[in-house]
Amino acid sequence: MNAATIDADIKVDIRDLSFFYGTTKALKNVTLPLHSRQVTAFIGPSGCGKSTLLRVLNRIYELYPNQRAEGEVVLDGENILTAKLDTNLLRSRVGMVFQKPTPFPMTIYDNVAFGIRLYERMAKSELDGRIESALQRAALWNEVKDKLKESGLSLSGGQQQRLCIARTVATHPEVILLDEPCSALDPISTAKIEELIDELSNEYTIVIVTHNMQQASRTSDHTAFMYLGELVEFGPTEKVFTAPEKKQTEEYITGRFG
Amino acid sequence: MAEIALAEQMSRVPERTVAVRKGGARDTRFRLLTLAAALLVLAIFAGVMASLLIGAYPAMRQFGWGFVTSEAWNPVTEKFGALASIYGTLVTSVLAMFVAVPVGIGIAIFLTEICPRPLRRPIGIAIELLAGIPSIIYGIWGLFIFAPWFQEHVQTWMIELFADIPYLRDLFAGPPYGIGIFTAALILSIMVLPFISAVTRDVFETVPSVLKEAAYGLGCTTWEVMWRVVLPFARSGVVGGSMLALGRALGETMAVTFVIGNAHHIKSSVFAPGTTISATIANEFTEAVGDLYFSSLIELGLILFFITFIVLASAQLMLRALEARAGSAS
Amino acid sequence: MMNKALYGRRKLWNGFFLTLSVLAAGFGLLWLGFILGALFYNGAVAFSSKLFLETTPVPGEDGGLANAVLGSVMMSALAVLAGTPLGLFAGTYLAEYGRYTRLAFFVRFVNDILLSAPSIVTGLFIYEILVVKMGHFSAWAGAASLMVIVIPVVVRTTENMLLLVPNGLREAAAALGAPLSSVIQSVTWRAARAGIVTGVLLAIARISGETAPLLFTALNNQFWSTNPNAPMASLPVVIFQFAMSPYEDWHKLAWAGALLITATVLTISIVARVLQPKRSH
Repeated sequence: MNAATIDADIKVDIRDLSFFYGTTKALKNVTLPLHSRQVTAFIGPSGCGKSTLLRVLNRIYELYPNQRAEGEVVLDGENILTAKLDTNLLRSRVGMVFQKPTPFPMTIYDNVAFGIRLYERMAKSELDGRIESALQRAALWNEVKDKLKESGLSLSGGQQQRLCIARTVATHPEVILLDEPCSALDPISTAKIEELIDELSNEYTIVIVTHNMQQASRTSDHTAFMYLGELVEFGPTEKVFTAPEKKQTEEYITGRFG
Repeated sequence: MAEIALAEQMSRVPERTVAVRKGGARDTRFRLLTLAAALLVLAIFAGVMASLLIGAYPAMRQFGWGFVTSEAWNPVTEKFGALASIYGTLVTSVLAMFVAVPVGIGIAIFLTEICPRPLRRPIGIAIELLAGIPSIIYGIWGLFIFAPWFQEHVQTWMIELFADIPYLRDLFAGPPYGIGIFTAALILSIMVLPFISAVTRDVFETVPSVLKEAAYGLGCTTWEVMWRVVLPFARSGVVGGSMLALGRALGETMAVTFVIGNAHHIKSSVFAPGTTISATIANEFTEAVGDLYFSSLIELGLILFFITFIVLASAQLMLRALEARAGSAS
Repeated sequence: MMNKALYGRRKLWNGFFLTLSVLAAGFGLLWLGFILGALFYNGAVAFSSKLFLETTPVPGEDGGLANAVLGSVMMSALAVLAGTPLGLFAGTYLAEYGRYTRLAFFVRFVNDILLSAPSIVTGLFIYEILVVKMGHFSAWAGAASLMVIVIPVVVRTTENMLLLVPNGLREAAAALGAPLSSVIQSVTWRAARAGIVTGVLLAIARISGETAPLLFTALNNQFWSTNPNAPMASLPVVIFQFAMSPYEDWHKLAWAGALLITATVLTISIVARVLQPKRSH
């Protein structure tokens, strides 16, 4: 066990984080904690920076030039924004599911095994077991157990997204980031995935970006409302939605704008 | 359940770190490999230029600029001049463009606007097959089939047609050899027009359909839409594509060698035999004796490379400008 | 109030020019038919199994094209085997690692020039660095001159196909902790596979008919030879030699060879089209 941090309940501590696209400041000195094994939702109108903030947490923005972050993001006592940190290792601990389902052009089995094979060596029987448990946790096992050798692209949209979730949990990450995971899906698939999020939060720290406020209030324990790159309000979901402290929050929630 | 998951995680971490470190070295190696390959492309280009310059040096030193202005080509006295070859190269290609550009654009218009939809793919593919036929096929077809036919049915008629018109009389003077500059130009144009058609079609597709719809909506006829809206919008792309085609025509060897006649002269008639740079090299390189002869041939190659480089580079820049505009407009 | 005369004139012009474009298409198709027709007619006459069983004859004697076919196949295979990986890696650099760099801009520019450059000139280049250095003509030099044509084609198509792969796929793989080389090799290449293969096929079709660079690298060889260190026959060069000669039986063989090359090139082009993924605009 590590030395006690200020609040052992906090998995990721975001401190004074700013983000730049070229010279444009897209995130302005954001500070907020992400609690362990709980669901935190980022909400706000288009362009408020919620996806940008999410993408800092696994440094996926580094794939592109002219984007940089300043400040600290502390995961289990370590600042992940330092230059010498191995980003690949970071990403094996902080997983991400994207807005558009992105199954790899390979079999369902290989899709789920992809992340595992990057870092671990094991016997086939063990790998089979890991894949089954990942697909179970994504509530997809029963639908695909007889067709693991088929292409991942042969699944429906909702199934593909659950495949992406299975792929992400298969590597036993500690944090799972979800970037509007249901926006490309139909209501039934959306409901299934929201159920999943609830179950997964027993084991993992979850962050979800959503433009659907009802989804945020249904699924999350904590909510952060963002506007024009600034964190306007952060607190327990129930409080933010029923008794918000800031006027802007109230206006957004009641649909006055955004 | 949660505790088992945690325990699993803790035990796997050391292996993860090792795997990452090994992967890091492999990652760098792969990246360097791709970089090396990219640099190889630059090296090939540099190599081509360097080898041409080095090989041409003896001739350049011997003849200087006179090489480009002299029509002489005498292996015995070792007097060489590039003028006839350069003339042939430029004239055949430019004449080819006069035919290929309007026809190629016409085909593109046909395929995008007039052709009934089910026929579009097959006819489009058929036109592209023309582009796929190797130039040596054009060469022997030109020599055995086209040239005799042209000589008998077209050339004699044209010579008589223009016999009394002062300027054209000399331009199209006989005898009707069949082979010659004009024939070579015609064959080049057939080779090159599918290329212009394909590039023009691609360029037409970058025109936003709202533009066309707006013009149609005002009551424009199809031709007016193409002439006044699409072509002006796509102008630099069409010009760029045509210049690309010109670049290829300039460097064409086999299609031209068979029918050009291989005469190192410049005559006023386009029906006369002549030669192009690539035809000269193709015909004479393996027979050449003597360092100066070799070097002159290589200097011809250098000149050709220089000409095509300028044409191709300008075409590139024009096409990229169009791409940038299309990208920012969408 | 519509001006009937003006409208009538416009309709006339419209009809006139549209008819011209139909004629243009007809013109193109006409020549295609003319060429293929002549090819089949003249080539089929001389076609027989002898083509593949006997070597090139002296005038007056019977023979085939076996050594030329072998030579073409050998040199093309070498060129493709060596050129494809080089082109693949260079194209990968342009699309993945160096996408936004200035170096990539120059490489792309130079590559596109090489793509359309006269093949006789690149042949001269290989002559200078291989034939002169080795002191003799060889199939190695011939294959090298073909390789210089293969590489730009593969670079271009690889880069284009890789750029078509959506970024979401790359991000998803990176998000699992895959280093960039794994993202490329395991996901991006796989996603672009069909397009890259098409590019290689197009390169093969392109070099199948190339004559000029072989003229002074591999030269020619009257006899059956598998020695890559010596001059080697090839179909295009043999056709060149035979067609330019005054001998009738050589002309017949030239046609047969031409038919063979064209059939190969057209088949490869059709296969490549069938495999080609739809381009999105």
